[in-house]
Amino acid sequence: MLSDDFVRQLINVGEVDLLVAVPTFNDAKTIGPVVQAVRLGLLKSFPRERAVLVNADGGSRDGSAQLALQASMTLPLNAATQSLRTFHTVTALSNNGTQASGSLPLLLATADLLRAKACAVVSPSEHVTPSWVERLLLPIYRQNFDLVAPLYRRHKFDGLLVKILLYPMMRAIWGKKIREPSATDFGFSGRLGASLFLKQEMWQADTGEIAEQLLLSLSAVMDGYPVCEVFLGPKDRGGQTTDLVPAMRQTVGTMFRFLDTGFARWQATQGPEAVPLQGAEQEVSCEPLRINPYRMHGMFQSGVTDLQPVLSSILTQKTLADLTACAALGKDVFHFPDELWARTVYEFAAAYHKAVISRDHIIQALAPVYRGKVYEFLITNRHAAAQEIEARIEALCVAFERLKPYLLQLWNGHGGGAP
Amino acid sequence: MTDGLWYKQAIIYQVHVRTYYDSNGDGIGDFAGLAQKLDYLQQLGTTAIWLMPFFPSPLRDDGYDISDYYSVHKSYGSLDDFKTFLNAAHQRDIRVIVELVLNHTSDQHPWFKESRSSRDNPRREWYVWSETDTPYRGTRIIFLDTEMSNWAWDPVSKAYYWHRFFTHQPDLNYDSPAVREEMWRVMKFWLDIGVDGFRLDAVPYLVEREGTNCENLPETHSVIKELRARLDADYPGRMLLAEANQWPADLCAYFGQEDEFHMAFHFPLMPRMFMGLKLEDRKPIVEILQQTPEIPSTCQWCLFLRNHDELTLEMVTDVERDYMYDAYAYDKTMRLNLGIRRRLAPLLDNDRKCIELMNGMLMSLPGTPIVYYGDEIGMGDNVFLGDRNGVRTPMQWNGGWNAGFSSADPESLYSPLILNPLFGYQAINVLSQQRSDHSLLSWMRRLIKVRKSTPVFGCGSIEFLQPANHRVLAYVRQLVNEKVLVVNNLSSAAQAVELDLRPYKGHLLIEMFGRNIFPRVGDLPYLLTMGPHQFYWFRLRRI
Repeated sequence: MLSDDFVRQLINVGEVDLLVAVPTFNDAKTIGPVVQAVRLGLLKSFPRERAVLVNADGGSRDGSAQLALQASMTLPLNAATQSLRTFHTVTALSNNGTQASGSLPLLLATADLLRAKACAVVSPSEHVTPSWVERLLLPIYRQNFDLVAPLYRRHKFDGLLVKILLYPMMRAIWGKKIREPSATDFGFSGRLGASLFLKQEMWQADTGEIAEQLLLSLSAVMDGYPVCEVFLGPKDRGGQTTDLVPAMRQTVGTMFRFLDTGFARWQATQGPEAVPLQGAEQEVSCEPLRINPYRMHGMFQSGVTDLQPVLSSILTQKTLADLTACAALGKDVFHFPDELWARTVYEFAAAYHKAVISRDHIIQALAPVYRGKVYEFLITNRHAAAQEIEARIEALCVAFERLKPYLLQLWNGHGGGAP
Repeated sequence: MTDGLWYKQAIIYQVHVRTYYDSNGDGIGDFAGLAQKLDYLQQLGTTAIWLMPFFPSPLRDDGYDISDYYSVHKSYGSLDDFKTFLNAAHQRDIRVIVELVLNHTSDQHPWFKESRSSRDNPRREWYVWSETDTPYRGTRIIFLDTEMSNWAWDPVSKAYYWHRFFTHQPDLNYDSPAVREEMWRVMKFWLDIGVDGFRLDAVPYLVEREGTNCENLPETHSVIKELRARLDADYPGRMLLAEANQWPADLCAYFGQEDEFHMAFHFPLMPRMFMGLKLEDRKPIVEILQQTPEIPSTCQWCLFLRNHDELTLEMVTDVERDYMYDAYAYDKTMRLNLGIRRRLAPLLDNDRKCIELMNGMLMSLPGTPIVYYGDEIGMGDNVFLGDRNGVRTPMQWNGGWNAGFSSADPESLYSPLILNPLFGYQAINVLSQQRSDHSLLSWMRRLIKVRKSTPVFGCGSIEFLQPANHRVLAYVRQLVNEKVLVVNNLSSAAQAVELDLRPYKGHLLIEMFGRNIFPRVGDLPYLLTMGPHQFYWFRLRRI
């Protein structure tokens, strides 16, 4: 997995206290400032610690890796930036240079070899500041947390896959209120990383970059590691994939897979508990965001219609009927109740568990249904302020929580779609 | 190398006569006693002794407050005793460097007593007086733990006098030609007796000027140039060593154009050696040496690990100082005046390998090494003795009465002995270590012998190698065709290191202690594996 050249670099680094990874793929515009921000953050907050910056490059063609190395050597020399120690930057091709997959296996192996106590992954975003380093590492390095999940300042309609699907599931099923269980900036402890590193059976080809933190979040929650959240700042939308199905494969697919392996844990979990928050509360900004809600509605309608045979093998008759009725509603009177959405998701999860049809098809079939819920969220909240959005999400989460016993029922073989 | 440059190959041993050996049973070391220990110093490999101030003094600053420059403190013997010691040293090819405090005197010195007695006294201008305490505002205070100001009010003279050190140490006024002439006469007195050089204390502070920081002023350099010119004219081959705790660029100025000091202590390097060891990273060491400008070919750095003062942390950044305090002086009792008042062995937790590594670097980095008395056997310290007295305890010769230092009653010794089971004289003493080939003392002798086996270490250039493993400090010393490769593992764990030795392709490496041959340098990086805190000295020979 690790090339000889990379191993040689690691030998020269030796044991570290802190590891900061910056995955890149054609990020030449931002990687330089990000590396300098990371370096400044380490110098300011951890001047005595042994640290390494790992650039896991997915095969960039714009010189991102070289720029990262250059930036780490060209900090201006002044009192604020002089370090006690040699600062190391190592570069590696993640997954043999194919951007399709993420860099987590490489990072976990590196963290294990270097015995890093605290690790952070930072996206090559223009919003990264030196303070991000402290916020992601300090709770692990000095306060004994094992996972640090981010909170971002986001547009109210940004990150809807998280807001209306992943977060409610995380809360209801796993009992932890982790708002961003699948982000590109997060921190984890060496011991959490080592424990996941050993569970290589959990990794699949489709656990890409998007789902890396989700993998860690679920592992941490499943095994009882302490988790906290930190407020970082604006979320970069530049690198986000707009292709829904691959994103759902990585995130929802991972979520559903973990329901299998972690059944003993989640079935006993009681009401959701908040995770400690470090830093300021999240704000939702009202900057414009271009979304075409009506296209969503169209795709939902056609999806439900065209996929009736598939949906009938996944969903109960009642749920399918309710969904079909929902799809028949016009744009202006559209209503997709939270309870129906939660019920639908749970039936999909159970179908995935039982593999009633190809699991990949199950995920693909969820996509148009999800779009229906997105459309409903958009039109309902188009004039809503931040607090109202929060209340809506809270209500959605409560619906998921209330229906958890239903999921358990489905899981144990009572109800569900036709085999 | 001409004998005029003897100091470049010297191994200097720093000692205070009071601490070394008491010949007359009064509890205080003396020159007659020191003379009896010259054989020991010769066997160690010492080629020069630096004597701390031994002049008459009220001893409120351990002799750095001088009240008579032309005599010897009666506790240490007579002027004749000194001459006897000097001759005995010279017979063993050991030179003697005398420490002279130029900047200030004791307030008990007759000169100051005269100066303060009246504004009309001929010696009035021998010191720096003022009606107010406002001149030279902003000048830093050196003894931060005890002094609040560089001015002190004199009730006799009803005026303020300037003192950069303790209040009882008024600064001499080097704007006075009479002062300069008198201090030359002092030096001449001792040169005529036969001393080989002077270590001049506190030289940056000789002259003050308004609007400056009163350190390293051009006028101070003029004073030094004047003294050096007279020394060269009348006493060729004698040496001047500067004590100037300054950054490298300011330090280099004290060499002048080979018309000021012959040698100067490299103060900024010393704490960084300790830092590099604790960080397990060569960065602090390499950086400070790379920032050190070239010095004239007849000049030389003096390197040291510890001395009679606190391990000074003046020439480091605040971040570095905090790190050093946390790493080496976790107990605040150990801290004094922006420094750490501990000896070498306790600083290094009595780790033999670390002690060896640090001495290895001392002996192989560019400069003349100084060994502080007692560090060759790993003596301990006593931080509870106040000021810097904890690192100035009696030399431990054996495990018997008063550690073999004195036959006096223990209660009458000038200082208590070190007694704890780890560093006490029963555990750490010369006699015990002489009986073992594997003791620190025996090892130090061998180290010094290997150091002296080649002029490269004293006179050669240095080129740092930059292996990717930052825990290894590696450099090549070269003098004409002679080359020595030094590799130091700063880490407490075993290390592998690949060295780029392509410029030396075809050379054999010959390890200098065991004289075994290591593989020839080829095209590939030269791989070495090193144990914790291990170091290698290799002669590079093309055979």
